[in-house]
Amino acid sequence: MTAIAGTSRHRRTLACLIAATAIIVGACGDGGATTAPASAEPGATTQPASAEPGATTAPELEGSISFLHKYSDPRYAPYFEAVVAAYMAEHPKVQIEIQAESDQGVKDKLRVLAASNTLPDIYFSWAGDFTKKFVRGGLAKDLTGDVTGDWAARFTPAALEAYTYDGKLYGVPITLDAKYMAYNTKLFADNGVAVPTTLDELLAACDTFEAKGIEPIAFGNQYGWPAIHFMTQLNPYYVPADTLQADYDPATGAFTDPGYGKALDAFAEINSRCLTQGANGISHEAAQASFLAGKSAMHYIEAVEFFALTEKGGAPADLANNWDFFMLPAPADATGDTGYLTGAPDGFLVNPASEHLDIALDFLDYLTTLDNAKKMVADLGWLSPVQGSATADNTFPQNVQTIEDIATAKGMAIWLDTVTHIDVANAYLNGVQAMLDGTKGTADVVADVQAAAASAKAASE
Amino acid sequence: MTGTTRPGRWSMLLWVAPAVLLLVVFVYYPVVENLRLSLYRWSPFSPREVFVGLDNYAALRADPVFWSSLFNNAAYAAVSVVFQVGGGLVLAAVLEELVRGRLKGILRTIYFVPAVLSLTITGLLFQFMYNPQIGLVNGLLDVLGLDAWKHSWLGESATAIWAIIAMSQWQSVGYVAVLFIVAMQRIPRELYEAAYIDGASRVQAFFKVTLPLVREMTLLAMIITVSGAFLVMNEVWVMTAGGPNNASHTLGTWLYKSAFFNDQMGYAAAIAVVIFLITMSASILQLFLGRGKAVQY
Repeated sequence: MTAIAGTSRHRRTLACLIAATAIIVGACGDGGATTAPASAEPGATTQPASAEPGATTAPELEGSISFLHKYSDPRYAPYFEAVVAAYMAEHPKVQIEIQAESDQGVKDKLRVLAASNTLPDIYFSWAGDFTKKFVRGGLAKDLTGDVTGDWAARFTPAALEAYTYDGKLYGVPITLDAKYMAYNTKLFADNGVAVPTTLDELLAACDTFEAKGIEPIAFGNQYGWPAIHFMTQLNPYYVPADTLQADYDPATGAFTDPGYGKALDAFAEINSRCLTQGANGISHEAAQASFLAGKSAMHYIEAVEFFALTEKGGAPADLANNWDFFMLPAPADATGDTGYLTGAPDGFLVNPASEHLDIALDFLDYLTTLDNAKKMVADLGWLSPVQGSATADNTFPQNVQTIEDIATAKGMAIWLDTVTHIDVANAYLNGVQAMLDGTKGTADVVADVQAAAASAKAASE
Repeated sequence: MTGTTRPGRWSMLLWVAPAVLLLVVFVYYPVVENLRLSLYRWSPFSPREVFVGLDNYAALRADPVFWSSLFNNAAYAAVSVVFQVGGGLVLAAVLEELVRGRLKGILRTIYFVPAVLSLTITGLLFQFMYNPQIGLVNGLLDVLGLDAWKHSWLGESATAIWAIIAMSQWQSVGYVAVLFIVAMQRIPRELYEAAYIDGASRVQAFFKVTLPLVREMTLLAMIITVSGAFLVMNEVWVMTAGGPNNASHTLGTWLYKSAFFNDQMGYAAAIAVVIFLITMSASILQLFLGRGKAVQY
């Protein structure tokens, strides 16, 4: 599998201040523990087992490192706390200070820490241009010689590739994500709608639901990124992969291929026939609530959100027992490559100035053992890039199906708002929002994107 | 009487020093450092600061989002002066003069409560109220048969900033009214009694007695309101993040986005300098206009 490009996604922009809260976990184990059975309960403090090489056979490590992640949400943080506690229990002379941030907060904090040259030993970063910024600034360690052998072999190749630039690996992936159209199987069956296999069929399905007073696709675009995820998938459908790759690189980007306009036209058509109107004033979460309540037939959603569609994740039984998903179908006249799937891994980078690189690498190795990956899948309902971590025993069927589907994809089309130069990303984010509120047309947005690409190209020179 | 003795002067300086030191470190130094940074091109991911002179200010001049943000701030200030200062004054006068007994305290509390709510909470609350599908605002318009007036209030370029400004008035008018109530309670009752004996109506008493005697508070309220309008950020960020299509940015949110999303720290510093100059100028102007005109009867 190859990644078209890579980087982060902009989500839930509620935090407005530089988040500087650090959750210090000073829990230290009893020193005598080695391994313990993994816990499947969120918040459990028992130590996950580690059956992987490197976790128990490393020479005795000593020192203190800091670990910045973006999973401060009370649903997710306990998993990381448990893994850290377990690691420290196995390495009594090691202290790991956790700094937990929100998705938005971590963007601010990383910039402040990078500017003040005080990055933690291990820190979160999205794949793609976000990571490239650290690489260009000499703030990310080249891990090519470190993530090798058994450790490297654990990962889905596409996940490692998303963190590889100029042939060098800079990140260790922790989660795997992809974008799908979740649909209410009961509404589809009741209204005689089959799962669409082409874009035209999707539009026809929307017409059917609309005629019956059912909202076809629940859509909230308050912060812009949900619409960008449509564009992330539509661009590869209409633009040849090589052209796309060249355009997503700031040094060569021009965005002159007519496919970009066609992709925007396709989005405009989807908007007018399928999506919630006035979506710029609706949050993604509010739209999701509509789907969960059975009021909408479909919802374009990330695989990491699938958990919210299960009963364990809080969904009503009516929906939890009656949903499935499909990839946003390609148009019949696609001129690009229909094998690419929107998505990307998230992961961690290592500060090259760390005084304890040995501990940082050993901990990352431990964090991504098969057992810990299985625990993450079970506890959080996320997908892990560690192969074999999602099975029918530890997660719901749709997650297992997702893993299989990702494996069949030709490559990952990484989030458009972060894979491109920030000027191009902004041109898309603002332009598509303007299309939704009717103040701009396709040609205006294409012109804005081309101007932004020219500006980015000039800056890169 | 002799002047301050030398040891007395030293001890005075010693007492003042901590406050001065704090101001220098946390206020004046950042202001000067920000001014310096505004002359550089600088990304947080690169240790290199490139001196660009006034280029960042030239870029500001050519940036349509900067100008629309400035307009939004000015609109925020103008509306706030009318509704918060003007409305707060009228509200305070009504509460003080027309409402009696326990109801006065209850109403005062009701009007003041929004001011103590977190901006994030009110932002989320109004997101629901403005929701185009299930929001109370569109629901009310539906009931009134005004379907044509329905909008995606936060989702349309033409309405987003006005929807946020409206929320801000709701939240702050009670706070300003309480400031005026405090000022009005300090006005001697005899002045009103004298005015009424002379045949003044309540409205005349308001204009001839109340208004002149709350002049200083009016000035303070205007400084707070106008400065606040140019510093506004949280409510905009929570409700629209400056969207759609950058239509609802204020200088504060545009600064934040430039610094922490677009990695243009020098450009963001230039915006900060502009905000500083505007708020300082507005404060000086208002202080100058109100100088020496305190009314005493």
